[in-house]
Amino acid sequence: MANSMARSFLQVAATEEVASPLRVVQIEGLVILKIIKHCKEFSPALVTGQLLGLDVGSVLEVTNCFPFPIREEDEEIEADGANYQLEMMRCLREVNVDNNTVGWYQSTILGSYQTVELIETFMNYQENIRRCVCIIYDPSRSNQGVLALKALKLSDSFMELYRANNFTGEKLREKNLSWVDIFEEIPIKVSNSALISAFMTELESDTPVKQCDYDRLQLSTKPYMERNVEFLIECMDDLSMEQQKFQFYYRSLSRQQAQQQAWLQKRRTENMARKAAGEEPLPEEDPSNPIFKPIPEPSRLESFLVTNQIANYCNQINGVAGQNFNRLYLMKSLHDN
Amino acid sequence: MASKFWTQGGSDTEEEETDIEDEIENGGAGETTAAAAGSRYLQTNASDSDDSDGQKRVVRSAKDKRFEEMASTVDQMKNAMKINDWVSLQESFDKINKQLEKVMRVTESDRVPNLYIKCLVMLEDFLAEALANKEAKKKMSSSNHKALNAMKQKLKKNNKQYEELINKYRENPESEEEKFEDEDEDEDEDESGSELEDPSQIAAESSDEDDEGEDVDDDDADGAWEKKLSKKEKLMDREFKKDPSEITWDTVNKKFKEVVAARGRKGTGKFEQVEQLTFLTKVAKTPAQKLEILFSVISAQFDVNPGLSGHMPINVWKKCVQNMLVILDILVQYPNIVVDDMVEPDENETQKGADYDGTIRVWGNLVAFLERIDNEFFKSLQCIDPHTREYVERLRDEPLFLVLAQNVQEYLERIGDLKSAAKVALRRVELVYYKPQEVYDAMRQLAVLSEDGEKDGDETKVEETRGTSAFVVTPELVSRKLTFPENSRALMDILVTLIYKSGDERTKARAMLCDIYHHALFDEFSIARDLLLMSHLQDTIQHMDVSTQILFNRAMAQVGLCAFRVGLIAEGHGCLSELYSGGRVKELLAQGVSQSRYHEKTPEQERLERRRQMPYHMHINLELLEAVHLICAMLLEVPNMAANSLDAKRKVISKTFRRLLEVSERQPFTGPPENVRDHVMAATRALCKGDFQKAFDVINSLDVWKLLRNRESVLEMLKAKIKEEALRTYLFTYCSSYDTLGLDQLTKMFDLSDAQIHSIVSKMLVNEELHASWDQPTRCIIFHDVEYSRLQALAFQLTEKLSILAESNERAVEARFGGGGLDLPLRRRDNQEYAAGTSGGGGGRWPDLSYNQGRQGSSGRAAYTGGGRPLALGQASRDRSSQSRGTGGYSGRAGSGMRGYQMDASARMVSLSRGVRG
Repeated sequence: MANSMARSFLQVAATEEVASPLRVVQIEGLVILKIIKHCKEFSPALVTGQLLGLDVGSVLEVTNCFPFPIREEDEEIEADGANYQLEMMRCLREVNVDNNTVGWYQSTILGSYQTVELIETFMNYQENIRRCVCIIYDPSRSNQGVLALKALKLSDSFMELYRANNFTGEKLREKNLSWVDIFEEIPIKVSNSALISAFMTELESDTPVKQCDYDRLQLSTKPYMERNVEFLIECMDDLSMEQQKFQFYYRSLSRQQAQQQAWLQKRRTENMARKAAGEEPLPEEDPSNPIFKPIPEPSRLESFLVTNQIANYCNQINGVAGQNFNRLYLMKSLHDN
Repeated sequence: MASKFWTQGGSDTEEEETDIEDEIENGGAGETTAAAAGSRYLQTNASDSDDSDGQKRVVRSAKDKRFEEMASTVDQMKNAMKINDWVSLQESFDKINKQLEKVMRVTESDRVPNLYIKCLVMLEDFLAEALANKEAKKKMSSSNHKALNAMKQKLKKNNKQYEELINKYRENPESEEEKFEDEDEDEDEDESGSELEDPSQIAAESSDEDDEGEDVDDDDADGAWEKKLSKKEKLMDREFKKDPSEITWDTVNKKFKEVVAARGRKGTGKFEQVEQLTFLTKVAKTPAQKLEILFSVISAQFDVNPGLSGHMPINVWKKCVQNMLVILDILVQYPNIVVDDMVEPDENETQKGADYDGTIRVWGNLVAFLERIDNEFFKSLQCIDPHTREYVERLRDEPLFLVLAQNVQEYLERIGDLKSAAKVALRRVELVYYKPQEVYDAMRQLAVLSEDGEKDGDETKVEETRGTSAFVVTPELVSRKLTFPENSRALMDILVTLIYKSGDERTKARAMLCDIYHHALFDEFSIARDLLLMSHLQDTIQHMDVSTQILFNRAMAQVGLCAFRVGLIAEGHGCLSELYSGGRVKELLAQGVSQSRYHEKTPEQERLERRRQMPYHMHINLELLEAVHLICAMLLEVPNMAANSLDAKRKVISKTFRRLLEVSERQPFTGPPENVRDHVMAATRALCKGDFQKAFDVINSLDVWKLLRNRESVLEMLKAKIKEEALRTYLFTYCSSYDTLGLDQLTKMFDLSDAQIHSIVSKMLVNEELHASWDQPTRCIIFHDVEYSRLQALAFQLTEKLSILAESNERAVEARFGGGGLDLPLRRRDNQEYAAGTSGGGGGRWPDLSYNQGRQGSSGRAAYTGGGRPLALGQASRDRSSQSRGTGGYSGRAGSGMRGYQMDASARMVSLSRGVRG
């Protein structure tokens, strides 16, 4: 056993050079339960925690996790948070638990996680750990009867762009990066020990339908939908704002171009005159002139994120609406029975 | 005479006077304790004889004072000469130069006073004498010697400027002297006591000049002017007086070239040049030459204007107009003379006499001169305080200009230069367009009245110009009379048609705006609006110059007022709201400079802005405008607020109004209304409760209504509107409290007829603003309890946001691929779509306009049925069409359309402000 483990570690060491892409995140059932417990208890406040585990080839194993205390908007406490993290890791190492950080988890409300902060945090982690992942759990969605768990990472091309901090239209076109390409979702695999699996099989009852299944048929999804639409409206506002920024940029750009043209025209006629007078022509470019100062193009990042967000909300609404229809048909057939 | 006092006091005075101009009197009195407590004037008239004359203490104008100061300095100089004191002479010389500046400033002319020239001559002579006398020079003290040398340098430099005048003076000092002898009876004994030869002679003369100067100044500057003029004429005459037959074209031409060459040179008096040229016109040999010289006269007259911001003196302006008329006379008399500014004419072109057959080309540009004259007129009105009599007097000169413009236009039309004729026509349009019929009639009367008086004046003037020796007699061929049509509309139509036919882009746009303004002034809203839409000026105005943008704003304001007067509240609001959205109405209409707290304007910008201001008589009354805007906003916004009381943010018609309302609601105590805003706010409060009577009373108490011509009918209309909106507000606000509501009760409450209430309520039902139904037998409204679920409401909101987004996306794409203006293609397409909807009568713009007018009557309140949305001009027609076609998805489109319009508006305002600032 130890031998095989050692070999596997060796393998890991060997593959590291190749750096195979991350294919699956394998999470222990216990970790998931811990995450759910933590997030649900504090909902609707948003919480975060650390993921610990191993990086094995194309599989990222998450074997343990611990929660962070709720952060306050205060420097000192933030420093405390860092201390807490280090302390916790030390303690875990002492009891011989995996203490290799592989990412973090966080709770969210209605999937509104696509923010600049998330990207920043991710970039921070990325600097220290080559392979990291963010697990996002949505307690409100889980109330609908689905396990709303997602493993995310930033796409490589996006990270490259982000490092260069260059989100102009041209660059984006060059990289062929659209809003869908910011985040990559990685499939999650839940692994349990053989004993637990066996126990679960034991627990499974024989009858196909039970009372709790009927409970799931409740149709009160209205508040959920409402909030989704509300968020969607907010997103629309944000998007319009981004658009306005862009329009403003475009307007000032065209004005500047007109100015430049006028200047150039003037300079050309001047040069003609000078040539006629037998003097040296003036250069046709004058970098010191303020009208040649390029206007910074607004970053597209924000609008990309907002678009992502919108897509997310739409998916959720779609999903819930679909489910509701199913439920309605089910109810109808049940009543018919 | 050689008083010690002056030689000592000289230096003191100099310091004092240069430093503290205003305190001259105090300083003077303080410093000369020795000189008895006499007045400053006594002192300055330093000659003893004056004292003995017992001159009384008189209050004199600043001009007199300056002249006296100068005279006293001359005296000082004379004294210094006598004792050969070069140091004090030098000081005095500096002083007199400074005083000269002051004198010039005060008299506002650039004619150097005789006194000064005389003094210079005297100094020059004395200097020559002193230099010649070597022995005396040796005896001089070192400081004196130094001063002498310095003086030599200075005088040489200084005299160069006045060389011409000095020479003139030297040529005929005797004539002057004679004159003085005649004038000054009380020759004093100074002359006898003179021991110097030539200079002293002059010095004595100049001492007389003291008294003489006073006399002259007491008369007027004009008196002095006349005298000088006569002298000049004498000079000129001497050149030409020999014999009329001896004056050849060449001599005149030579002199003319000489005078013109002196233009703009230092030391060339501008008035002088005008006079010289005017004289030359009289001796001109050929009509062409006279024409040429006349053009130069006018140019020279324009030169008289002191600066860019100041205006031309009024009398010069009038002369200028007269000259232009003479030019026209010549041109009419000799149709073979062509005025052109494109080609450089042949040197001897003007030599060709009156009997020459071919065309004679003369350099000149009538239109440019005319425009310049108009600009000067405009500027003078800008500068003159509108509350003075002077302003009214100046306004009376307008017919004078109109006559000229009319004649120039006629001439240009005759020679077929329609493009220039259009330009001139525009000038005329711009003088007429803002005048209501009453003012127009008054102007006509004035023109008729002044005709008689003018005639007399004219004749004498003509006599005068002709009397002496005009070689080329120009009979008055061009009528000096204004021929006005009865109706200003008729005049506008004639002029505008001409401009549309042959004007350039800018001229046409301006004429169109004036036309719109004029139509709006005459309560012809539909025509004005159609013109505005047809011309697509809204789209292109951002690219025009600032003054045209101002004209556009003025036209919009007037259209708004007009819409209000004819009872189209929504349209009126649409026109006015953009003006008020930025809070810079004054600036936008160029009726005053608004002070912004946040950014200081540079003096440059401020000056530019000041130059753009409208003269007072062209102003649109701002209070009336504000009242109309706020009342329109109130009538639209109050029911709208009542309808959407749950989420007030959702549909805001007038942000300005909302803001004002918020401010007034925040006040802990509302006093009685004082200004327009307070009145409207008080009315709003009443209207919110459905109390139409109170609302109307408050608004009725505004005193701006007296500015309206048909005040009664407008107030009547306003009252009807207020009642209607009060009813709607009441229904919106209290529908939830009622199960049923009787028609009879409503008629009683709102003083409206059954039919009216029925129609209003039915309209609300149709538009699904009110969830209710009629119960005919019991004459009741039965309310249904229909509430949107929250999800539904949110969905509505979402669709609205989406439509905004889609719209702006579309615009962005159009901007990228469309090339032209941001919203131009969009508008166009709408128009086409619309034309297609109206049975596609050729797809042009005219058919849909006529359709529009046809519908005007039947859907008089179409905008109103559109859910009380502010349908801005551009959209009003569109909505109406979509409604008449009964298409679905109406509200969304209207909403987006409206928003699009507002965006346009904001963009335009931005651009204007850019213009203002940049």
